[in-house]
Amino acid sequence: MNLAVGDGRFVSLVGPSGSGKSSLLRAMIGLQRPLSGTVEMNLARSQVGILFQDDALLPWKTARDNVALGLTFNGMERSKALAEAESWLERLDLAGFGDRFPRHLSGGQRKRVALAQVLAMQPKLILMDEPFASLDAIVGARVVRDVVALVEREKISVLLVTHDLEEALSLSDEVYLLSQGPRAHITQQYLVPIPRPRDPVHSRMHPAFSPLYERLWADLSREVDHRAEAA
Amino acid sequence: MFLHPRYAWIRQLAAFAVLLAVWEAAGRAGLLNPLYVPNPSRIGAALVELFSDGRIWPHLDATFTAALGGLALGIVVGILLGVAAALVRLIAELLEPLMTVLNAIPRVILAPLFVIWLGIGLASKVALSFILVAVLIFSTVFTGIRQVDRRLVERVVTLGGDRWALVRHVYLPSVAAWVLGNLKIAVGFAFTGACVGEFVAATHGLGYLLSFAQSTYNAALMFALILLILVVVLLIFAIAGRLEKYLLRWS
Repeated sequence: MNLAVGDGRFVSLVGPSGSGKSSLLRAMIGLQRPLSGTVEMNLARSQVGILFQDDALLPWKTARDNVALGLTFNGMERSKALAEAESWLERLDLAGFGDRFPRHLSGGQRKRVALAQVLAMQPKLILMDEPFASLDAIVGARVVRDVVALVEREKISVLLVTHDLEEALSLSDEVYLLSQGPRAHITQQYLVPIPRPRDPVHSRMHPAFSPLYERLWADLSREVDHRAEAA
Repeated sequence: MFLHPRYAWIRQLAAFAVLLAVWEAAGRAGLLNPLYVPNPSRIGAALVELFSDGRIWPHLDATFTAALGGLALGIVVGILLGVAAALVRLIAELLEPLMTVLNAIPRVILAPLFVIWLGIGLASKVALSFILVAVLIFSTVFTGIRQVDRRLVERVVTLGGDRWALVRHVYLPSVAAWVLGNLKIAVGFAFTGACVGEFVAATHGLGYLLSFAQSTYNAALMFALILLILVVVLLIFAIAGRLEKYLLRWS
């Protein structure tokens, strides 16, 4: 499989469950070894961040300490890392929440802290494994809007894995469809001609959205039916 | 208003006072044999006497030293062995059966053995206290480390943390949390070990005084000592509880 995520491009990967979308991301970041074959990326590991579905913040560290964590791993002095962390918290609307423990933050705030944690590392590419699935509609929409604004401004590339087709189309410049696993491969590529900067909610009203959505839906259905027949 | 849940402690206190009054009255009316059940006033007098003539201090000192020594040693050794077993399979294979056996038996039955080995002095009490605590802490840490949240490990790894970072930011705080969560039980165990050890054979300590009271049929002294041990353990429970609450304020 060959996947190109251009500089500053937002690319989504959709596919039936079991097509190995999450495994692909985990293999890319080195959390799991591919069953066969190798993973090659033209970016260093430290230039790639990952955002999981669950926040996985260290519960015994404050929001600020959590954000500073990766910076100190990279050798930054602790006081400097904390100041840097604070500025990222502010950029993510979390000014004044730095001293809170994750337990005392709402789901949306925890998601923002996790995002700040990744952004503070100044990655070139962020892998996202259904990071918004656990949030309720309004909170989720706000977090998504801020994520989009940030990656647009910082020119960060994103590879998002999701099974929410609307989410994929409204956020991405390109969407790839994966076939049913095992041995899943990319079957289709869709270019989303909605201009940036984008508002994820309004981009769903763009004239290009519905036809693309219908095509994607039909293709994905075919993939799933294909599996049913094979079984 | 008197039945408001907030005032439960007043009701409990009142019930206790009534119980004491009935007990005292029944004793004075000759309904209770003072040889077995002395009046509360007699018990109180015995307690005051223990302190007023200063006789109690060396005993309190002995029990505290044994219990706190056993507690500290037990926590340190329990953590070290638990971590070692969780990291090295061979150590786990060797230690697990021993710990399972020690966990299954009432460990105070080792008291006479420790007296033979270590004498009737402080060492045998510390040893009993230690073995009670260490086994508890070992199992807590050993099972705890194997249940560390994988997601936290992955988070630290993907942020660029090395093995040491994992130990420092994920494993140590997890271990600390489990140990603190069991601190009250460990304190109870430590005092159990000290008192039982003293009860078996000693020259000092609250347990020794208890056994003395038993051999002289001094029920008032016995009640007074039970009360004293209760207060001591509750006090340490309160301190442990405070410590736990502060250190686990994130949870």
